[in-house]
Amino acid sequence: MKIPTPRSLYYGLGKANFIQYILFAVFLIFFYLPLANLMMLAFGNKYEMPAIIPQEFGFKWWQFVFQQNSLLSAIVTSFVLAIIVTIVSLLICVPAAYALARYDFPGKSIFQFSFLFSNAFPKMGLYIAIAIVYYKLNLMGTWLGVILLHVINTMMFMTWIPMGAFRSVHRQQEESARDVGAGPFRTFMKITFPLALPGITVASIFTFLASIEEAQGTLMVGFPDIKTVPVELYGIIMQYPTTAGPVLSFILLIPALLILILGRKYISVDSISKGYNVH
Amino acid sequence: MDQERKNKILPYLMLMPAMAIMAIVVIYPIFSCIATSFTQEEAGGFGLENYLYFLADPMQLTNIGYTLAIVLVTVVLAVGIAYLLSIYLRFSNSRVSRWIGKLYLLPRFIPGLVAVNGMITIISNSGLLNRLSRLFGADWQLGLIYDAKGIILMNLWFNIPFATMLMGAAMSAINNSEIEAAKDVGAGKLRIFWKIILPLTYRDIFISATFVFMSNISSFTTPYLMGGNYPTMMGVTMYNLYGNQHFGRSAALSVIMFILSALSAVMYIYVNMRKDQWEKN
Repeated sequence: MKIPTPRSLYYGLGKANFIQYILFAVFLIFFYLPLANLMMLAFGNKYEMPAIIPQEFGFKWWQFVFQQNSLLSAIVTSFVLAIIVTIVSLLICVPAAYALARYDFPGKSIFQFSFLFSNAFPKMGLYIAIAIVYYKLNLMGTWLGVILLHVINTMMFMTWIPMGAFRSVHRQQEESARDVGAGPFRTFMKITFPLALPGITVASIFTFLASIEEAQGTLMVGFPDIKTVPVELYGIIMQYPTTAGPVLSFILLIPALLILILGRKYISVDSISKGYNVH
Repeated sequence: MDQERKNKILPYLMLMPAMAIMAIVVIYPIFSCIATSFTQEEAGGFGLENYLYFLADPMQLTNIGYTLAIVLVTVVLAVGIAYLLSIYLRFSNSRVSRWIGKLYLLPRFIPGLVAVNGMITIISNSGLLNRLSRLFGADWQLGLIYDAKGIILMNLWFNIPFATMLMGAAMSAINNSEIEAAKDVGAGKLRIFWKIILPLTYRDIFISATFVFMSNISSFTTPYLMGGNYPTMMGVTMYNLYGNQHFGRSAALSVIMFILSALSAVMYIYVNMRKDQWEKN
């Protein structure tokens, strides 16, 4: 087989196509090569200069990671924390979203926009402010402190997306349930909540993922007792950028990839940009 | 009567837990941070000592300038490239366009640290780029790692998809019929861009620029892992100051960061207000 030269490709594909394929190649190399290389290195036992592909594949560094008690406990901490944060955030934000979607009351728009507040400040500046307060209140290195920080990070998504979902439930559907004798709570549980569930699910997925990958805030206020996978990764990347780093990165990536594959149905450009309320 | 009163209080009760957390974990710390920034470490009492430290120390001024330079380059490149990409994704129906449309969102879901680790395996001095260059007998040391160039490269990785997503929403709001109508009366591609696409999307360019500015001015993970020892970006400077128990100084730097962000937010509001004027024409 003849290897195509750029010149033959240019004439074979036509100018417009040729440029598009170049664009696609640049796109893939820039956005995906770092991830692909990282995943490959996670399974490299031996990766010495000047090899491009590891000289030996295996699970040597996975063993290394799973032999470190600190890393194992970080994995557990990360998942437990993300689950707690998602539940707390749901309990706090879904009622707020429902109130904003279904009731008219003085000050409503102020309340609605106040959920933007935690995202209106530059993250690291806000974390420093929180850390200074936590230091005074003895909340540094506590679960409560870290959970609260994660919750405020996700409040905007957790309120605005379910709010949109509640609004799209027709009032007539609720009213007809009330007409056949269902109480307000029963109506909510049987009609409103199931219909708004896709929106709430998307918001919960975002919250869970945001909590799993939250790094700098936890590094600031979790110190020294609460160490999640991202907190450990700071040190690991500095020390082992091509060995244990890729393994731990791979582990951190699993929930995101799993949820993306399972939740493809619910996640679209629209549902994400809705969180930023551009329109 | 009782039911009516209950209905009036109910929404406030439902909002209360969220508001309480917001007050304790966001609003109170912000005010406390401002107060702390005026608390003098050396002279005691209240004063401008912490702010003067940043304005008088050449190293700290360099850090702030370094941060602004990186952020501005990032904003211009990320928003510029994303704008072109969003136009391409909206108006091209080719296979490549559809593939990129499917693939460009993934970086949004990749934890920041994972992406940073990935990029380090490519651009570090013994990374993939260097190894590839050795195939050709060269020994590229592009000096990307521990340098502003590497930070900007990483910022682009994070922000191009993000800005494309924001502006893509605006692009998809453009009606095909408008474009068709313009074509029918003989408008060329460039004219369609100036007269239809740009007026309908220029606000979103500024909105994206504001978001990119805000998220990058406070960036920490990328400069912490990929930046050098000096100069450092403000997020890293802050972290180090806090770690050395200079609470007042780190608080003052937070306030400076808030002010810089507020300036970009002013632009955001200004552009939003001009919207009506533009639509009048």
